Amino acid sequence: MMISLRRMNAILQKDFKDFSRNLAVSTVLIMPIGLGAFYGRGGVNSIEAHYMLINLAFVMIATFVQCCLIAEEKEKNTLRGLMLSPASTTEILGGKSLLTFILTMITVSITAYLADYRPANIGVIVLAFILSSFFYIAVGTLLGLFSKSVMEASVIVMPVVAVFSMGTFLPTFVDQYPFLKMGMYLPNIQLIELAVKVEAGGGFGDVLIELLIILAWTIILCMLTAAIYRKRMVD
Amino acid sequence: MSLHFINAEKRIHDSVIFPSFDLSVDPGDIVAVYSSVNVREQLIELLLEKTRLSNGEIRVDDSKISNNRQKVGILFLQDGLYERLSIEEMISFIKDLYTSNVLKDDVIQAVQLDSKRKVKIKQLSYSERKRVQLACLLIRDPDIYIFEEADQNLDLESKRIFVSILQRLKQQNRSVLILTGNMESAVTTSDRVLRLDENGLHSIHTQEAIEDQATLIEEKPLVADSVLPVRFEKIPTKINEKIVLFDPPEIDYIESNEGLSLLHIKGESFPSVSTLTELEARLLPFGFFRCHRSYIVNLQKVREVITWTRNSYSLVLDDTQKSTIPLSKSKMVELKEMLGL
Repeated sequence: MMISLRRMNAILQKDFKDFSRNLAVSTVLIMPIGLGAFYGRGGVNSIEAHYMLINLAFVMIATFVQCCLIAEEKEKNTLRGLMLSPASTTEILGGKSLLTFILTMITVSITAYLADYRPANIGVIVLAFILSSFFYIAVGTLLGLFSKSVMEASVIVMPVVAVFSMGTFLPTFVDQYPFLKMGMYLPNIQLIELAVKVEAGGGFGDVLIELLIILAWTIILCMLTAAIYRKRMVD
Repeated sequence: MSLHFINAEKRIHDSVIFPSFDLSVDPGDIVAVYSSVNVREQLIELLLEKTRLSNGEIRVDDSKISNNRQKVGILFLQDGLYERLSIEEMISFIKDLYTSNVLKDDVIQAVQLDSKRKVKIKQLSYSERKRVQLACLLIRDPDIYIFEEADQNLDLESKRIFVSILQRLKQQNRSVLILTGNMESAVTTSDRVLRLDENGLHSIHTQEAIEDQATLIEEKPLVADSVLPVRFEKIPTKINEKIVLFDPPEIDYIESNEGLSLLHIKGESFPSVSTLTELEARLLPFGFFRCHRSYIVNLQKVREVITWTRNSYSLVLDDTQKSTIPLSKSKMVELKEMLGL
């Protein structure tokens, strides 16, 4: 099926206007940027601290914003209109995710810049960021589909925010509690391991495993989201 | 394009929602289906293909409805508008989404929201939002329009706009199906009114049949005979096991609903034991007027006569709810004579 760029663009523009006037959701952009500036000026310079911020930016923008956007469409009865329109599932979710993706990339870059994080190999890091943002957007869409209102969405997204931002410190406990080992495969931890290798001078070939794990997470989540979307929207 | 219900029948578990019926809505037709909320919701679900008919099928021309999704436009009761966008932005969005060629300005003018085009939707009144929703449907320009309770709770101005848009759609040869639970709205907006319930689809005559007028004339002398000697002026109504008597001047209007006459008094309705024709005969000397096949109105309470189009009229009463009741074309002539116009 052909994807109509005009329709995706229409959805993107509509969402951008709607988002910029929705202060309750758009003000979350300030949080990671503010924290980034604060950490940068305070001279906190460990890679874990940087990545706590970056993961926080990912989860607050990609997951939280996406989740609220989808939940609002459901709450205000507008998703039905979209689904009855000629726009396909890909176009609807694509148009919505595009806005979140752009916002995420901008916020993450500003946060990293203000926190004085200068990766050794920018190409690999950018690729990892793009892959991670797809993962977080898929999580956001999934949670948005499960919630009935923006209020509900902002509550159910909280545990996810906690896991993926605070979870950054997980490696420090793993030695003490071996059952947490499973958690080492979470995409946020993989992102840090990747960053550590890059700082140590690793190139694209050295971080292939981490990239593949993140990619696997992204693909699983995207498929799950598409399946749930179809299932939920039929009834 | 025309919409066909062929042998359509719906049962849920063991109860019949509606038995099988045939209905075609052809281009240039405005058909109203008067039904309960349950039947209306079922019809909408069926048109959206969320449920299936127990028997029969719904067709658009000769193919299935799912192949013609974009040819059918539904105006839902719940509006589904993006509140933070302005009217103009909302309509542009729908235009882009449906890649439509209809001009935005035409549509905004049709719903008469020109002066408010930059206003955000959340600042609009209910009636204005409904008009924006209608504009979003008009810009898609489908061949078949389906309206779900379109003029419910609308103010007079919006209702007038809605009726004139319906007339325009008729001229453009679109098929229009109106689903409503309000007889007054069904009669004023459409050419053909049908009632759909568990007993099937029945047409309701909106134009007076000739025989009906004949009985009317016959009964007039009868009135004089029966009223004068008895001079019983109270109208009995039955509530549960009690019989309540009303003075004729108290009555605002009387409506016939599924064979039952309902007296409307100060916003409440009371079922009467007599038929509309009997009531008309008794009430004629008190300044009552049969303004429609299913309505008798107390002329003392009429405040306004509204002309929607050349052959559809309504009367607005002076009661607390400002009730509007339909006035049929032939009765309009009679009324004009009575008023000496």
